[in-house]
Amino acid sequence: MKAIKLLAALLVLTPAAALAADRVKWEPDRPEFKYFTERGSYDEKSWAELAPAEQEKALEDAAEPAAARQQAVAQAYRPMAARWDTAQLRYYSSGLKNSDINAVYLWVGKQEGHELAHKLFTVREAVNKASVSGLGTEDEAALGQYLTPEAIKDLHSMKFASDLARKQAAGIKDKGPASGSSSKLGKLGGASPSKLSAGKLSGLYDKADQSGSPDMGTSAAVIGAGGKPGLQSGKPNATAARTIKYSAPEALQGPAPKSKAWTSDAYGITVETAQGTQAYRKSSEAEAAIRKLPPGSVKKIILYGHGSPGMQTVGDAVYDADGTAALLKDKMAQGGVIQFAGCNTSSIGGATLNPAVGLSMVARRLLYFSLPYFQDRADGIPAAQAREQWEKGWNADLARDTSLGVKGAVVCGYRTFGLVPGRLPGLTKLLGTQEATSPGVVAGKKACYQDGKEVPAP
Amino acid sequence: MTDFNYILETILLLAVPIVPVAAGVFLRGKFPPPAEGQPPRTGAQKAARLAGNVLFWGGLAGILFMIVVILNFKGKI
Repeated sequence: MKAIKLLAALLVLTPAAALAADRVKWEPDRPEFKYFTERGSYDEKSWAELAPAEQEKALEDAAEPAAARQQAVAQAYRPMAARWDTAQLRYYSSGLKNSDINAVYLWVGKQEGHELAHKLFTVREAVNKASVSGLGTEDEAALGQYLTPEAIKDLHSMKFASDLARKQAAGIKDKGPASGSSSKLGKLGGASPSKLSAGKLSGLYDKADQSGSPDMGTSAAVIGAGGKPGLQSGKPNATAARTIKYSAPEALQGPAPKSKAWTSDAYGITVETAQGTQAYRKSSEAEAAIRKLPPGSVKKIILYGHGSPGMQTVGDAVYDADGTAALLKDKMAQGGVIQFAGCNTSSIGGATLNPAVGLSMVARRLLYFSLPYFQDRADGIPAAQAREQWEKGWNADLARDTSLGVKGAVVCGYRTFGLVPGRLPGLTKLLGTQEATSPGVVAGKKACYQDGKEVPAP
Repeated sequence: MTDFNYILETILLLAVPIVPVAAGVFLRGKFPPPAEGQPPRTGAQKAARLAGNVLFWGGLAGILFMIVVILNFKGKI
């Protein structure tokens, strides 16, 4: 009798034990798994290798943040999918990035992501066209499904369109719409942002590209700092050190003969590593070389070109704080230096007795606040909206913001307009610096930051 | 009111480089170089004249600097 009871008990317990030991299958449509995908915590393969208890724990931990993230993305997506009014047009056309589209692909649906990408592409093209040659009847009809009549009417203003096109090209984010919809999708709710890598989502977007989705690389911040996200993507959980094979940057092809041009076209990126210093005219080549470098190997990098509050150009490439941080955050050595060699790449700072610095402050306020503010007012934009937008922007601190994204690195910029003797007509010819890739002497007030705090210039 | 405030601010900012020029003109007028037959200038007069010159020419250089910056910003140079 005892043996029968034991047998019965075993019969009951065995399936339960078997069930308890079963691994949970990877379900891409379940929020927890979307969350893992977005964070880059697991993929199907690494998930299958987890012990059942670990799987259970991971699912339990992810349940709440995944639900919150899904709700946040859905909420932010709704106004993006509706027809955009003027404020939304200004915000979304310049502010949406690949990471936002990827979030929609992942959390809302591939079809929705594809449609949003197409909408953004169409609208950006229309803005560019409107700023150059104006919109035709066919363009208006095509935009009808994406924009409100009022927004289309505003696009007819060449001034409005060219301003918007400039912001698109520069990746300058505009003021968000008044509703909560302005929240960007690229940031993870609840998760540690430091663990987010845009590359982890590249697979989704690459597939979308294959299915005919337009390349959204027109977001300048993305272009500027390395093209489409995902260029560094490896296996989830794999470190950059394991996935990226090191190869030193290619050497420049011999010293170029000195130019005899009168005016300057100087810009470039100079990267200093333990292997030596390399200078690049083309930012795409510099970015490719930087991506090949092992983590923590860049001792100093100089981005030389034209700067303005919150951004720096190097030739055609545009770098903002997010884009620069995305490119360099794993590459900088502890205490390594990122130098933005461009005007106004740091905030104006405190009061000064130096008249040149004072004049520079005045000029910055006039050029980056007064002028655009009155232009906006002339375009019929409400005073409060124009004020909020330009008050935020005119004193932006690219160096400080970048230092927050590249922990441990010292990020320097200029509080003032910088005067580079090598750029002056005549001296350019004398010094042969027309295509110089670093500025040499700069007359300007420098400021450096580490983790958001001001530090002495190294 | 917002617009008015910003118009006022803009006028004041634009006037900033004029202030040292105006001060320079004033000091140069107040302390002219000595004409023939007049007693030589004192040290204080010489210093005031020098300050006037510095303010005048420095102010003009400042205005020139702002013009260059604005032209550069507008893509003209």
